Amino acid sequence: MRPKSLFSAALFSLLMTFAIGSAQAAVTGKALFEGAAPAAEKIKVDADPKCKMMHPAGLEASSVIVNSNGTLKNVFVYVKEGAQGKFETPKESVVFDQVGCEYKPKVFGIQVNQTLEILNSDDTLHNVHSLPTQSQGFNLGMPIKGMKLKKSFSKPEVMVKIKCEVHPWMAAYAGVLDHPFYSVTDDEGKFEIKNLPPGNYVLEAWHEKYGAQTQNMTVAEGEQETSFTFKP
Amino acid sequence: MAKPTPTLYSIAKTFMWFAIISLLLLGSLVAIVLMDHSREWKVWQKKFVAIKTERAKKELAEAEAKVDKKQLATLAERLKQTQMERKSQRAEMAKTRKELEALEVRFAQAKTHYQDQKQFQDSYRYYFEEYSTHHDPRAKEFQKKFQTISPKVAAAKKEQDDAEKLRDEKAAQLEDFSAKEKEVKKEIEKLLAEKRLVQGKLDRVKPTLAKDILNAPMLDFLKPSLQVQQIVLEDLYDDYHFAKTQKVDRCTTCHQGIDQKGFEDMPQPFRTHPDLDLYLGSQSPHPVEKFGCTVCHSGSGHSVSFTDAAHTPSGPEEARQWKKKYGWHDLEKWEQKMLPLEHAQASCAKCHNDVVEVPQADHLNEGRRLAAKFGCFNCHKINGFEERWKVGPDLTHLSGKVDEDWITRWLHDPKAFRPSTQMPQIFHLSNHQDAADRERDNAAIAAITAYLVKNSEPITLMAAPIPGNPEEGEKLVKSLGCLGCHSVGDAKGDSFGPELSNLGSKVGADWLFTWIKDPKHYSSHTRMPNLRLSDPEAAHITAYLLSQRNESFEKTSIPEVMPEVVDSLILESFQGAMRAQEARAKLDQMNADERLEFLGKKSIAHQGCFTCHAIKGFEDQKPIGADLSNEGRKDIHQLDFGFVPIEHSREAFIEQKLKDPRIFDRGKIRSYYEKLRMPQFNFTDAEIESLTTFVLSLTEEQVPLQMRKRLDLKEERVEEGRLLVAQFNCNGCHTFDGKNGTLRELTEDPGAAPPVLDGEGAKVQEKWLHEFLRQPTVIRPWLTYRMPTFGLNEKDTQALVEYFANLSHEEASYKGHPVPETTPEKLAAGQTIFNQFQCVKCHQLDASSAAMGASFLAPDLSLTKKRLKPNWVKAWIQNPEALQAGTMMPSFFVDGQTPLTEILGGDAQAQIEAIRDYLYHENGVAKA
Repeated sequence: MRPKSLFSAALFSLLMTFAIGSAQAAVTGKALFEGAAPAAEKIKVDADPKCKMMHPAGLEASSVIVNSNGTLKNVFVYVKEGAQGKFETPKESVVFDQVGCEYKPKVFGIQVNQTLEILNSDDTLHNVHSLPTQSQGFNLGMPIKGMKLKKSFSKPEVMVKIKCEVHPWMAAYAGVLDHPFYSVTDDEGKFEIKNLPPGNYVLEAWHEKYGAQTQNMTVAEGEQETSFTFKP
Repeated sequence: MAKPTPTLYSIAKTFMWFAIISLLLLGSLVAIVLMDHSREWKVWQKKFVAIKTERAKKELAEAEAKVDKKQLATLAERLKQTQMERKSQRAEMAKTRKELEALEVRFAQAKTHYQDQKQFQDSYRYYFEEYSTHHDPRAKEFQKKFQTISPKVAAAKKEQDDAEKLRDEKAAQLEDFSAKEKEVKKEIEKLLAEKRLVQGKLDRVKPTLAKDILNAPMLDFLKPSLQVQQIVLEDLYDDYHFAKTQKVDRCTTCHQGIDQKGFEDMPQPFRTHPDLDLYLGSQSPHPVEKFGCTVCHSGSGHSVSFTDAAHTPSGPEEARQWKKKYGWHDLEKWEQKMLPLEHAQASCAKCHNDVVEVPQADHLNEGRRLAAKFGCFNCHKINGFEERWKVGPDLTHLSGKVDEDWITRWLHDPKAFRPSTQMPQIFHLSNHQDAADRERDNAAIAAITAYLVKNSEPITLMAAPIPGNPEEGEKLVKSLGCLGCHSVGDAKGDSFGPELSNLGSKVGADWLFTWIKDPKHYSSHTRMPNLRLSDPEAAHITAYLLSQRNESFEKTSIPEVMPEVVDSLILESFQGAMRAQEARAKLDQMNADERLEFLGKKSIAHQGCFTCHAIKGFEDQKPIGADLSNEGRKDIHQLDFGFVPIEHSREAFIEQKLKDPRIFDRGKIRSYYEKLRMPQFNFTDAEIESLTTFVLSLTEEQVPLQMRKRLDLKEERVEEGRLLVAQFNCNGCHTFDGKNGTLRELTEDPGAAPPVLDGEGAKVQEKWLHEFLRQPTVIRPWLTYRMPTFGLNEKDTQALVEYFANLSHEEASYKGHPVPETTPEKLAAGQTIFNQFQCVKCHQLDASSAAMGASFLAPDLSLTKKRLKPNWVKAWIQNPEALQAGTMMPSFFVDGQTPLTEILGGDAQAQIEAIRDYLYHENGVAKA
């Protein structure tokens, strides 16, 4: 590299740091649930004796989880429109486990080309079948306890379904984005999108059962709050 | 002095006239030369030269800009230095050169000396050998001479070599003085190489004085740069009625950029052909020097003017523009006018006539497909399309299916019952609009109904043993695969078979139950396959399909038929065959019913109903439509445009005919039986366009064999199969051979969709496939869709097996495929891996050990040995997704790695083979 371009690269990175460092915002909030929480559906896991051993009484369907504070868990909240610029792919990987014949986490965000580390902590055959429509999917057989495989998604897509053919109740959803502005609601229904440069955005909240809803938001410096309300 | 002889004319005047006439003559000569010289095409060529010059100049500027000026300056400086250096060493160089000269002399002398000595040595040897053989005493003498001279020769050789070496060294020394200079010069050349190249290009294309002189009038016979370009097509001829001439295309005279990349955005005539990979390119299957232009586009290839080349405007608007801009007019006498671009694919069929579909000719293929679908081949004889099926349902047992009123209402207006029907409107069309014709049509419809009912053979129908549940039926229709051919109500499926809505207004429960249980019972030639429905399934589906009715259709009134109209039609049909009194007498012999039946038969024959439907009494009738085998080449004056004011071209005629088949009767006086008979199909504009391309493609023109696309045996088998695939609508469910399966597309989860059949020939064994096609069995228990039994005959079954094999470039073999050889160790390893991978979680092994509890069942592995080819099994285990997109079978060897590092040294390939071998061997769990 010649001195001149080296200099401009340095200048550019300096400016970028300045731009990001100078003004930052965070959007936090909750996914509220209105109405009575639906009774959890019971799933029989007798089909696989190994799963049955871990859950003698069966499993509860995890597609809708209403927290005790009246909020909804596993809602994927992300910036749908307005994120500008290129964002580096994080070096750390997202860990995705199969434990107790369930996927953990059930809903998660991941950046394009970020490593997805897939584990099988069960002593039974699982397969991880991703069904993206925008990029090449994968279908991995994981027969050995403790085995680990690495995969990634090459194109943004909200959401990519992941399922297991051996255990049809197992399903997970990945929100694949080309920026880091996303969050999944937790046990208190909270989400937090950090390091967002001030500007105009369209936010979307997605839920497996109750669909997606969007909000337009002008984000200024500092912390902003908002909420999404889902109804059955 | 003699008096001048008096003359009868004035010399001065004569001179004057002579001068005037000479000038006129000269003027006309110049005019002739100039007019002959100025040609339309030269204008275009000059424009193209200007464009190319402009481009080359731009490229040159770009190339110049790319040259590193700094480096060039440095090099120039270095060159100067080296030259100076060389000059300063002049004295030294002169000395070296002199030394070199001396060495050259020394070398020359040494060489001559050595050659002299060598000659002596050779002659002594010769004489010695010669004399010794003849025992001549002189042999000794020569032996001595030979021995004396030999060392001298060796010394001379050494001297020569030494001299040569010294000379070469000196020469290299001399070279060294200018070596640096040469190197710098070379570097400069390298830097300027691209610029030089572009400069050369520019010099070649740009107009110069020399070129202008060569292009000048009277001189342009020598070597003009502007000249007519032509492609002579050796194997093709143009037919000028009674004279055949070799086909010559001069289109490139003006279309100069047609086969060169980079003129895509240029206005015509310079634009690059839009698909050089397929046409014109030297690597394409249709290189320009072999195919020219008019083979595909038609037109007059030997002409070099815009009008004479028979260009065809895209519409009246363009025609108007052309008239204004180029003085264009229609070439009335030229039959082969340029095909409008949307119909250019019609020409593909000239050489690609043995294939079901011409590769990449979507438009033509769509036309062919529509022609087959709507039964064009049933009515019209067309060479090459004879082996087609009747598209309409079999009417042999019609009374068992529908009642008289339904038939009558249907014939009056089929679309009133089912808007999507393929059955065309036959009566009450544009040339039957007056009151009398309406009456006649009513009578003919009543008569046809009467004939069909009277001539319907009885059939036994079964009643459903249980009452069906419509809701269950709806689920079954959606889950069994009916949508692979039919649409029902809101459930949109493939449009291959009729839409099944409103059957409650058409058929009875017993008929429908019997039909879906076994379609061939009602109609032995039907293409409707048997889904092997159980009685309850069939009862539910029957209940569902009958629950929908078309009440407005049921309420349509049926017009009264006047007996006298029936009589008059019968009498009219006798005209020409017998006298009026005889006709009357014949009519009087018939009672009312007989009259109706007689007219019915006459009407069916006249309208050609039997061409699409099997009808008793019409088994050996010839189709009624015109032979269309040469329709794409038919002389335009043979087409009857009547009084319809449209452009007189083939495509306009065909399009109009498809839009309103009876329109050419407009303004003509014709009797009932003389009127045009082609029915109204209500084609959409897009369908008309494709069908027109298809009709234009019909020609009996004989293209020489070597010019045609000839199929090899494999390709022939594939084409045979493709016809069957079209006939039975395999693509209604399955995706393969470049076509998406409708049902597969409709199914959200690809794992639950009918399987993709690409590569099927490489996958399954021929013997198994043969059995399966004759009698399908359940391979994928989790699929709700059911592979139907088509009732294929032996010939078609074999053809399909051959088709799949050849499509996958496999040799069809009914002998079976050898089980791979293996070792006990490998088999044991196979079993271990098989267990570790828990394959039995999904795969059944044999009937006794149902899969151990997985919710989804995978194919029964005990079928492997009989069903699958060993090589395929290996490829499948390695990467299932690559062979069947969306498959539920996971990949256990992700990125070619195995999770089991202990077995067979962790060699993934060996492990894959071990699993395969385990599946194929008797002592494994999987028994054949």
